Order: sequence, then C-alpha cells, then structure tokens
Amino acid sequence: MKYYKSAVGSQQSGGEKEVFPVFLFTICGAFFLASDAHAMHISEGILPLNWALLWSLVAIPFVAWGLYELKKLSADDPSFKPLVGLMTAVVFIISCMPIPVPTAGTCSHPCGTGIAGILVGPAISILITAVALFIQALFLAHGGLSTWGADIVSMGVMGSFAGFFTFKTLRVFRVNMAVSAFMAGLLADWATYLTTSVELASGIKGDSAFMPLFWKIAIAFVPTQLPLGILEGAMTAGMVTLLYKKRPDLLVKMRVLKPEEVAI
Amino acid sequence: MAMHLLSEHFRNDHSFFRIDARVKLVFALALLAMVLSYKGFFFPLLVLFCSIACCVYIKVPARAFFLRFAEPLFIAAVIVLLKLFFSGNDVLFSISLPTSHFSLITLTGYSDGLKEGLLIACRILGAVSVLTLLGLSTPFTELIAGLAWLRFPKGFIEVLMFAYRYIFLLFEDAMVIYNSQKNRLGYASVKQGLSSFGTLAGSLTLKAFENSQNTALAMTQRGYDGSMPMLKHKPFNPPEVVVSFFLICVMGVLWQI
Repeated sequence: MKYYKSAVGSQQSGGEKEVFPVFLFTICGAFFLASDAHAMHISEGILPLNWALLWSLVAIPFVAWGLYELKKLSADDPSFKPLVGLMTAVVFIISCMPIPVPTAGTCSHPCGTGIAGILVGPAISILITAVALFIQALFLAHGGLSTWGADIVSMGVMGSFAGFFTFKTLRVFRVNMAVSAFMAGLLADWATYLTTSVELASGIKGDSAFMPLFWKIAIAFVPTQLPLGILEGAMTAGMVTLLYKKRPDLLVKMRVLKPEEVAI
Repeated sequence: MAMHLLSEHFRNDHSFFRIDARVKLVFALALLAMVLSYKGFFFPLLVLFCSIACCVYIKVPARAFFLRFAEPLFIAAVIVLLKLFFSGNDVLFSISLPTSHFSLITLTGYSDGLKEGLLIACRILGAVSVLTLLGLSTPFTELIAGLAWLRFPKGFIEVLMFAYRYIFLLFEDAMVIYNSQKNRLGYASVKQGLSSFGTLAGSLTLKAFENSQNTALAMTQRGYDGSMPMLKHKPFNPPEVVVSFFLICVMGVLWQI
C-alpha cells in the first residue's frame, strides 16, 4: 500500500487527494464491466508495433517448445495430437462460457490455462493457448494478431506455469487435491492478470512513467479479476475432482497423479 | 452465443469469399502493420470506415458486427479514461467533488492524455476492423491453407484443424449439459453455478479424452500416419495479386500523409 501511494504520488503531487480519483476510476471500471468482461485478452491495436513485436519474440521460444513436445509425444502415441486439438477446443469453449462475478454484478470468462497446465503440462498448455487465442482473435475479436504474442505470454506462459507449478508444489507437500487445484486455478488467473497489466502499461504508457500506470491498470481491474481468480480456482477444483472421481486412470496417464495415489 | 459469430454462419456467396485467402492474409497483415505504426487519427479511421463499408457490402449482420466490437470498444473506453485522468500535463478540466471524508476532491482531466487515449482507441478500432473483415470474409479451411503457405509450423496447423473441427461438436455437448443444468436450477446461486460449471468443464474434458482415442483409431484405420493433408493451393490469380498490390501501395501513400 505504501508503495502504491508513492507510485501514485510520483505522477502528480497531492497526497491523499490522488487516492480518490484512482478509487473513483476503479468504481467506474466496475460499472463499465457490467456489460461483459474479457479483460484477460489484450485487444488488437492496443500495443504499438514495437511492443507487439517484442512480446511476439518472447512468445516464440515457448510455442516452439510446445511444438517440440507435441512432435515427441505424438510420435509415441498417435492419439496425442487429436487429444491436444480436443483440449484446445475445451479451453476455447470454457473461455467462452459466462460465469457470474458477484462483486462486479456481471458475468466474466475463465482462462482455462490453469487446468490445461495441470493436465498436459506447461509446454503443451502454451501451445493449446496459442491455438485457442488464434481462433478467438480471428473469429471472435477477443485478442488480436498483433497482440497474439503478448496474450500468449500472459495467458499461455504465465497462466500455464503458475497453474502447473502451484499444483505440483502443493502435491509434493501432500496438500489435498481439490485445494491444490483451487490454488493452481487461482494463481494461474492472477498471474495472467498481473502480466496483462504489465503488458498494457508498457504498451500505452507513452511518455508517462511505467510503474504508476501499471498500478492504476492493476487496480482498475481488481473488481472483476480478483473474484474471477477465486471463481476460476473453484472451477479448476471442480474439474479435477470430477476427473479424479470418474476417470482417475486418465489423471495417471497424463502424469497428474502417481498410480499409488489412485490406489489409495 | 459466441459460436454464431464464426464466419461459417454467414452467407458466403459474395465476391470477397472467392478471393485467394493468401492474398487477403498478406493484405490484412500489411494493413495491420500500417495501422499499428501510424501516429495520427486519419489512417486508422480511414481503415475502420473502409472495413465497415466492406462489411455492409458483404451483408454481415449488424448484430454480429457490433458484438465483435463490444470488447475492443470497452477496452478502448477504459484506456481513454485512464489516459484522460492519469496521464499528461495540460489541464483540460477540473471537477471538485465534496465528500464526507475529504474536504474537497479534485478530479483533473488532461488534454494531452485525452489525445493519447483517443489515438490508442482509433488504433484499436482500425486494427480490429481489419481482423473482423478478414475473419468474416474467409472460409476457415482456406485460411489454414494460407497459414501453411506462410510457413506456419505444421504441428500448429494440425492442432488448429483438430480444434476447429471439435469446437462445434463439443460446443453442442456443452450446450446440452448447460441447458439441462439450468433447467434443474444449477445456476440459481453463485455456489451452485460454480459447482455446475466445474462439472460441465470436467465432463467436456472427459469427452475430449474419449473422443481423441476414438478419433485416432478411426483416422488410423483410414490411413492416418501422424500428419494431416493440407488443402492444395490453386495458382495465384494475377488480377487479384495486382489489385491487392495496388491497394497496398495506395494505402501506403495514405499512411505517409
């Protein structure tokens, strides 16, 4: 909070008076969100060409890693490629489904990258996100071609890694599977949201300082993104629990669980 | 829902549909680069106007067009407000708000911030309009073939083809589950809604696993060896290439203004 105040204060002088406009803006943001929220995608055209190219360059090695893993795994199992395609379709559909966000009084959409990271690992999850984002950009105008790289980094790379490592770490400490999945979904969502704020602030800052703008963007999206993270966590926990009850063999096959964990 | 916005749901008997997807793709990418690198209002608004005119010409339903612009418009509005109130030095207006906790709060708008915000908003609308027109005027299979021609990795294109094929099938399953959950008051409260949504997403994942096994088996029986055949390209139509090159040059000249 102290840092936030100093960041706001550095833009203009005025101390506590400056907190109120940010608060007011946050409320206005929540009001605007009453239509529908797709805050995770950076829309086409927001980033100037240099930033769009930079984020694309960052995304390329991760997507290449996903393609390498796909080639390696599909050589062993011919059903792997159709599986990745179907998982992409699932992530696409999940991210089109509305879920209620009580604080904003509206519906928003989960990312689905946390669950993909848990089930197929970060490399394939990044590839899945890249494909899903491509279809969404071209056919639904969610995200864009120029912002594809930035969206892959925030949703695919950060979301998948956050989901995967949170789940694995908590499972190492023998935390309950539903709780681990919940935390994975929650942190994947929040990691995506924070990275999106960094990308937006760096892209639109112009001549202004980066940090104050970053905090303002992050705070503006708090009314939807914080509860949405909790909702996505709950959804991820529900999905993993259902898979565990109905088809634990699949979770073993995908190396989410060890065989002895299912036997117990 | 969102699925009805996909290009396959619109009429495809217009002349734009028949233009080579590779030509449209290259033209759209060139236009996108110009919009993103332009520093003023004129060019993005010109592109927006041309795209709207083309969408009217190919009879895109107005609802579908505006639905595609809903999210970009929202983001553009947020950015204009952010830049107006939190960026810039030249004061445009100042509103004093009396509150119970603060003696007097001043909300200040900056003219240079507003200008920057409007520039970004114009860039968003121009770029989105290019992408919207490309998506609405190109069959997906041809677009994939165009991507293959642009040397997109084969693995990526194969996953894209599988995903696009199964989006519609899984979406139908999802709607059946969603409607039956809704009829049983599965979304009556936030808690129930979350539980139902988790079940829905889990069921879709299970279906995806099962379908992938069946699909692989069926495809292997029909000669699938791990790689999908791509749509064969027809030779380029010279008039299309010449016209699109001419249009890129014209837009390039306008971009310089």
